[in-house]
Amino acid sequence: MSAAFDDSSDEQQLYAADPEWADVVPLQQYEGVDPIAPIFYSEEYKDATDYFRGIVKTGEMSPKVLKLTEHIIRMNPAHYSAWQYRYKTLIALNSPLKAELELMDNFAIQFLKTYQVWHHRRLLLGALRSVDVAVRELAFVTRTLRTDTKNYHTWSYRQWILAHFNDEARLWPGELPWVEELLEEDVRNNSAWHHRFFVVWQSGVRRDEVDREEVLRRELAFTKEKISLAPNNQSAWNYLRGVLDHTHTPYASLTSFVQPYTVGAPSDPEDSIVDLENPRPSAGAELPSLPALEFLADIYEAEGGDGISKAVRIWKSLADEHDTIRKKYWEYRIKDALHGAQ
Amino acid sequence: MSSFPRLARTGHTSHCKICLSGLPFSQVEVDASRIAVIFYCLGAMDLLGTLSAKTSETDRQKWRDWFWEQQTSGKYGTGFKPSTYMTPQGGNDEYSDYDIPHLVMTYTALLSLAILRDDFSKLDRPGILRFMRACQREDGSFSALPDGGEADLRSVYCAFALSNMLDDWSGVDVDRAVSYIQRCSSYEGGYGQTPYHEALGGTTYCAVAALYLAPSTAHSSPETRMTPAERARTIRWLTQNQTSSGGFRGRTGKLADACYCFWCGATLTILGVGNLVDSTALAMFMAQCQYKFGGIAKAPSERPDPYHTYLSLASLALHPSREGDSSWDLSPLNVFWNITEETARWIKDHIPGYKA
Ligand SMILES: [Zn+2]
Repeated sequence: MSAAFDDSSDEQQLYAADPEWADVVPLQQYEGVDPIAPIFYSEEYKDATDYFRGIVKTGEMSPKVLKLTEHIIRMNPAHYSAWQYRYKTLIALNSPLKAELELMDNFAIQFLKTYQVWHHRRLLLGALRSVDVAVRELAFVTRTLRTDTKNYHTWSYRQWILAHFNDEARLWPGELPWVEELLEEDVRNNSAWHHRFFVVWQSGVRRDEVDREEVLRRELAFTKEKISLAPNNQSAWNYLRGVLDHTHTPYASLTSFVQPYTVGAPSDPEDSIVDLENPRPSAGAELPSLPALEFLADIYEAEGGDGISKAVRIWKSLADEHDTIRKKYWEYRIKDALHGAQ
Repeated sequence: MSSFPRLARTGHTSHCKICLSGLPFSQVEVDASRIAVIFYCLGAMDLLGTLSAKTSETDRQKWRDWFWEQQTSGKYGTGFKPSTYMTPQGGNDEYSDYDIPHLVMTYTALLSLAILRDDFSKLDRPGILRFMRACQREDGSFSALPDGGEADLRSVYCAFALSNMLDDWSGVDVDRAVSYIQRCSSYEGGYGQTPYHEALGGTTYCAVAALYLAPSTAHSSPETRMTPAERARTIRWLTQNQTSSGGFRGRTGKLADACYCFWCGATLTILGVGNLVDSTALAMFMAQCQYKFGGIAKAPSERPDPYHTYLSLASLALHPSREGDSSWDLSPLNVFWNITEETARWIKDHIPGYKA
């Protein structure tokens, strides 16, 4: 029934010439006043949508409607009315929704950036109410993200699945190891960092993560290590700040970690004692790290007193030398801090 | 600075005019959001000040008539549909479930009609308020269509902007919507499209503009909806998004894209710190995004489209560079409604119900 229309097939026969459609009265699109920005439709599209308007008028919900809506969606995946009607028809016909999901795998790859493709999947999952299917979907998302690691819709869909089914035993446990894999491949993947924040801090407390102090220690260690590999990676620094803000941990608790990243050249290896808690910048890292300078200035600013002038010195160096595109921002920070100090 | 590039005003106007006259089938996806595309074209010409010279009154009258044909009424109230793409010949007395109004289209339709200096005598104000009520969901968000579909910060912003234009907030539950917006806030300082999603430039504009647009209630006021720490974090994230290319990116670690120059820059303006944008670097980036035959693309050597053309010009209007010559002169922009100040004045004089 969900016999897929093969869009690579030869000339699509028009519905107007198809005996199977003889019982449907096609309805042309209304164009009363001269339209603005009209779209120059193809014959095939015009024919299909004429029959779709005809179907909507009579309210017919039959297997051939599934073929028609699929055909339209393949030509115009943003046609939300076709999506809506297709979903209602699937439900009305009691169609096997898992088969629909499989058909959608192909759609998602082809129309990765179309919202409707993902919305339809959510509706299907909501109707299926099966953790088995949710597990399958997480695997599908994992595969899809391999081709486009930062696709917003795909990530949102994954977060929705996790929150919607919220299955402690079968859905959540794989998330952290998977995020770690992604960051292993690309430590600058901000979507992966964001997902880590969602999993660890925003989605409730996992069974084996009840000791939040321990979780905080783990996250700080993880992030510091990633920063040591790429000291200018803004995504990791933003995550670090996010964790500290979320747990109300003072930035100053990381002073000894941050300091080596704020100097021009890596310090002499002879006087560097290996400190597992505070990994040093990796060899060849570009220093000083701008996010580290900014972080240190924030520590100084929070100290107040003499700290303010130390912070101002850093901000000046950012404004005039290291980060001139944000000159006005750093000057704004200076003004703000000096004003606040009075 | 004789080497400073010029803004290709004529080219950008003709890009918009060509799109208004018709789009190739390859753009068929636009059909489901056509009013928005038309708004970008009209809005760009409004910013450039070329609309009255480059279009005829006959055209503008036809366009106004076309817009009013998209206003449609039925069981969920009144609003605008994106186009007639689902309207059968002969029209509908009442819309069917598959030809219903769309919240984002309603917002862009009113902006477009104001650009065309319509008198709004045909506007069904109570119907629009009813429509907005039908779109708000339990969690405070709005869906673009009353019976489902995408519910996110974009629709929240459109409902707030519409209420503000109508000067009537009886169509929305402000407190519930505000708490929804706050749930979309991300640890980075920006706002995601829906709660718990990654910080994104466009939805951050929607969030912050909405927080400032809504009147004070018993529970919150524009000044208290963001704490000082949240505001500082948002400003930090926004300024961080201006990359060394001069353009803004929409997410940490991504490449610059012309539309985010508006979304991020405009949010800074709303937060009172629009001057933090490096406007000269921004103009240099935009100059490179200009397509040789007119229009502005999302990035250098990409194809232009009305969306990026309009938002680029809007961002240049908000953050003019002192280096640019008169080719860069644009009409001042109203940052909350995303429309020229002059058109915003027209809205204030014609849309609120008590003035009708
Ligand atoms: Zn863009």
